[in-house]
Formats: sequence, C-alpha cells, structure tokens
Amino acid sequence: MLVLTRRANQSIMIGADVVVTVLEVRGDQVRIGIDAPRSISVHREEVFRELEAANRAAASPASGALEGLAALRPPTERERRP
Amino acid sequence: MSQVEEQLPELHFAGGLPGFPDVRRFVLVRLGDELSPFSVLRSLDGNTGDSAGPEFVVTHPALFFPDYEPEIDDDTAGRLELESADDALLLVIVTVADPVAASTANLLGPIVVNRHTRAAAQAVLGNSGYATREALVPHR
Repeated sequence: MLVLTRRANQSIMIGADVVVTVLEVRGDQVRIGIDAPRSISVHREEVFRELEAANRAAASPASGALEGLAALRPPTERERRP
Repeated sequence: MSQVEEQLPELHFAGGLPGFPDVRRFVLVRLGDELSPFSVLRSLDGNTGDSAGPEFVVTHPALFFPDYEPEIDDDTAGRLELESADDALLLVIVTVADPVAASTANLLGPIVVNRHTRAAAQAVLGNSGYATREALVPHR
C-alpha cells in the first residue's frame, strides 16, 4: 500500500481526474472530500462490502425455493399493522 | 427459452453490481403467474466462461414496504439520466429463505432502472438506516 502524509486542505490525485482532499482532521476522525467523474462510484467501504455480501447471498437461489416464493403474496394492511 | 428472452427488454448495468462487477446485461422475467409480486433478474453475461451468470429475485418494494422512500443520490440519478422520479422503476433484491415466508429484501441497495433507456444501477443508500435483510413478511 502506498502511504502518503497530507495535511488539512492538501490533496492526492488518483489518475488524471480523481482528487481526494483532506478537509479536516479532528481527533480520530478525518473528513475527506472526493472529486471524481460520474462514471466512478464512491462508497464507504463497509457499506459496499455489505452490499457485495448481500448480493452474493441472494444470487441464484435454488429453483425449488422459487416455486414456493411465487405463491407468496404481500401482507395485507391488516396483517401489516395488527 | 432463449427465444422468449430475446423479446424481453434488456436492462444494462454499466457498472455491474457489487460482488458482480462484470455482469452488465440482464432481462427481467416474471416469476410465477400474473399475481406473483416477484420477477427474476436474469443475467445474459456468464460470470466465468461457459457457466451461467447469476440471477436475482426482485420485487416492487411498494408492495411489501409501503413506507419505503429511498433517496437516490445525484450521482446515480445523473448516471442513469433520470430527470424525475417518474422516470425510475424501483426494485429490491430478495434473498430467498427456507421457509419462503422468512425471505428478506435488500432495502439498502435498491435497483434503479430508467424506464425509458433501460439503464440500471444498484444504488447504495449510505446512512439511510435501511438494511440488506428486511423481512418481507412481518413477524407475529
């Protein structure tokens, strides 16, 4: 891993069009600003990892399970708020 | 089967999905009869060589979660060229469980589709309080 030391208001460039700026350092928290083209999505890592895991868990369910699911109906208003 | 798929509109995920970055082209196929609230999002791109790509069960969140109001971030809306909320079709991925009544929906990462262009993406609702496993059927 490349390690760089930066102060508040200093930036790092990744490629030609991604700029990561340290905005503020306070205690153990760092506020970071990211300028990137729209085609590059930016996420908090833990949220992205959670989605990866959720997608893998949901991918390609067994066909037997699908038959039962097709019969499942949304709860009625009464069932939802008993 | 392939004949049917050819007639279905193709959804295009330019950025893939988290966990499946290389799978971009999908078709939406109804699961079961017309009353079924579920569809299958079936990939047309194999994950590796000759093996079939993944498929995901999806549903309309309004049917199961009437209070669900995700705020789609500007970047996702911009990437999909959504100009108003009416342009968007919202779907959520279902994790099928045994028994099926214990199945859950991913409200943290809804699928957003531009109805007109069929461009699609999985949004990431950071800090929304929504979870990846919300029960479809409320517990009694």
